[in-house]
Amino acid sequence: MVDEPSNSPDFSTEKLEAMQPQNLDEALAEVERVAVSPALELPLLAATSLVKNFGGIKAVDNASIEVAKGSITGLVGPNGAGKTTLFNLLSNFIRPDSGRVLFDGEPVHHLQPHIIARMGMVRTFQVARALSRLSVMENLLLAAQKQTGEKFWNTWLRNKEIATEEQQNREKAIAILESVGLAHMAYEYAGALSGGQRKLLEMGRALMTDPKLILLDEPAAGVNPTLINQICDRVQQWNRRGMTFLIIEHNMDVIMSLCDRVWVLAEGRNLAVGTPAEIQSNPEVLEAYLGQ
Amino acid sequence: MPDAVSLQNLLSPGYVVSLIIFTATYALFSLGLNLQWGFTGLLNFGHVAFMTVGAYTTVLLSLQGIPLWLATLIGAVLAALLGLALGATTLRLREDYLAILTIGASEVIRLIALNEEWLTRGALGVPITDQYLPLGALTRPTLPTRIGMVIWWTVLFALAAWQLWRWLRHSSDRPGKELSETRSIPIHKLVWGGVTALAGGVLYGIGAIAIIDYARYGYKVGLMLLLVTVLAFVYWRLEVAVNAPWGRVLKSIREDEEVARALGKNVFWYKLQSLMLGGAIAGVAGAFYAWNLTFINPDGFIPLITFQAWIIVVLGGSGNNAGTLLGAVIYWMYFTVTRFALPAIVPLDDARLGALRIMVIGLLLIILMMVRPQGILGKKEELTLGR
Repeated sequence: MVDEPSNSPDFSTEKLEAMQPQNLDEALAEVERVAVSPALELPLLAATSLVKNFGGIKAVDNASIEVAKGSITGLVGPNGAGKTTLFNLLSNFIRPDSGRVLFDGEPVHHLQPHIIARMGMVRTFQVARALSRLSVMENLLLAAQKQTGEKFWNTWLRNKEIATEEQQNREKAIAILESVGLAHMAYEYAGALSGGQRKLLEMGRALMTDPKLILLDEPAAGVNPTLINQICDRVQQWNRRGMTFLIIEHNMDVIMSLCDRVWVLAEGRNLAVGTPAEIQSNPEVLEAYLGQ
Repeated sequence: MPDAVSLQNLLSPGYVVSLIIFTATYALFSLGLNLQWGFTGLLNFGHVAFMTVGAYTTVLLSLQGIPLWLATLIGAVLAALLGLALGATTLRLREDYLAILTIGASEVIRLIALNEEWLTRGALGVPITDQYLPLGALTRPTLPTRIGMVIWWTVLFALAAWQLWRWLRHSSDRPGKELSETRSIPIHKLVWGGVTALAGGVLYGIGAIAIIDYARYGYKVGLMLLLVTVLAFVYWRLEVAVNAPWGRVLKSIREDEEVARALGKNVFWYKLQSLMLGGAIAGVAGAFYAWNLTFINPDGFIPLITFQAWIIVVLGGSGNNAGTLLGAVIYWMYFTVTRFALPAIVPLDDARLGALRIMVIGLLLIILMMVRPQGILGKKEELTLGR
């Protein structure tokens, strides 16, 4: 399989690797540094001039977005602005008509979605998708990367290795389930979870892949306020550990409390970008949301 | 036909041996379908195509003097390659299109077998003589050999009994959790376990008698032993594989392939593996099908065969290998018992009786789907879940 994408001519891979945090302390230092001067840092994700037409409708029309390493970046816009389509273009679930996506310095817009996921950009879905007839635990175990037992012939030859790995993944999964508050549901069918719990399950599953960037599509939609707070806490907690987030959300409180930077999309085009406070007082944004 | 005579026929070793062969062939065939549909969610309505390729390849190659084991292996590989060709062209389609295309492909394969007379002798079919049958030269094994065979036969059934015992004693009430011991065995388990144990005991006993009296019942006894061995092996490997992370990926594709893709799984490749492996298993089943009938022609590979496998898989509970084995046993039991019992009860001629049996199995399936929509060994909770 072609896991390694071709090197981008624009960026030196070595330099990027040198910038990768090696341990928690370094990661924390990194996060601080980025938080102080995000503009000096190469962005983790940079998408430029993305276009996607569905028939005659321009769902995404020359939109760009940038996510700084270690940041929590927001993506807002009125319904039908093309936010979810943009997510699909970034993760290549839908192929863009034109435009470039650079993830961690590598162009990824020509890669299969599963390869992008393996590179460390993992997405969740607007309507949470649980694997109903698998248990919550199995949902998480599935997400672990580079499993020996996922190759058919290894189930003949390397059973011991598989069992050890499975045990390690199980422990990791339990830790994640505890942190999202689903540990008591570990051996229930995922289909038995409520809508809000499914959102948490999706986030846990994303986390299980050890990603660099998590794309969250409306994590707070249809979730009760207590659970929303819990979700926000988790996002901040993981962010402090060095994980980067790009979040689509309609709930402005969530955007306000979480995001460092917010991109506004309307009718498939970039409308504004700035800090949450700037965005909230931007007359163009208000006009797009409220209509004139 | 008087009752006593028909019962005698039913339990005669010769008849039971061919019944076991039929059942095991269909069980093997259906295990392939269960991997594709039950675990991966691929709507394959052309499963018989793999069997056709396996059967014709094995027979035609062995007639050319290629050793049987090698011919069978090549048959399985070609069946897998058919899966590759089918999958590479259709697996990106939505599942209902896959169903249409597979049923079409299976008819194309059958029509090729019917019309390419230089290769397959068309509708005349290909007869197989004893020398090209597995163990065909073994007509009078010595007593020690026969005793060895009985011991092996016993081992196979003991393994089956052990599986049944585990199923009775242990239950996994929750998905993905380690099996835990249960105090009381639920009644439905006792009933199904009892029926299975009884049927297995009868089959074991009569099979053993047939082995001792090998010379009288001929090569079919050897074929039976070989087939049940292969079936046990395939079942064991499948169970290991579907319970490993590999099987978890297949199940995740069945549930929602977008999620699998979002988590970095190469969905297309796994679907292809499932289609090819299921196809190869069906190819091996095809070889046994041919050896049992000692003759193949295109009429033996009509779409009905595919749907018999579907009945077996659904009957036993999709996504459950043991259920598929049980489904095959029940399906053939039904056909056998009604063949002998119905003429005594229902005053109809043979053709009408045949139609009646098919109608009744349809009715029974409808009733089963209403009472136990998850199949005999399926888990009821799974059906109450939302997406």
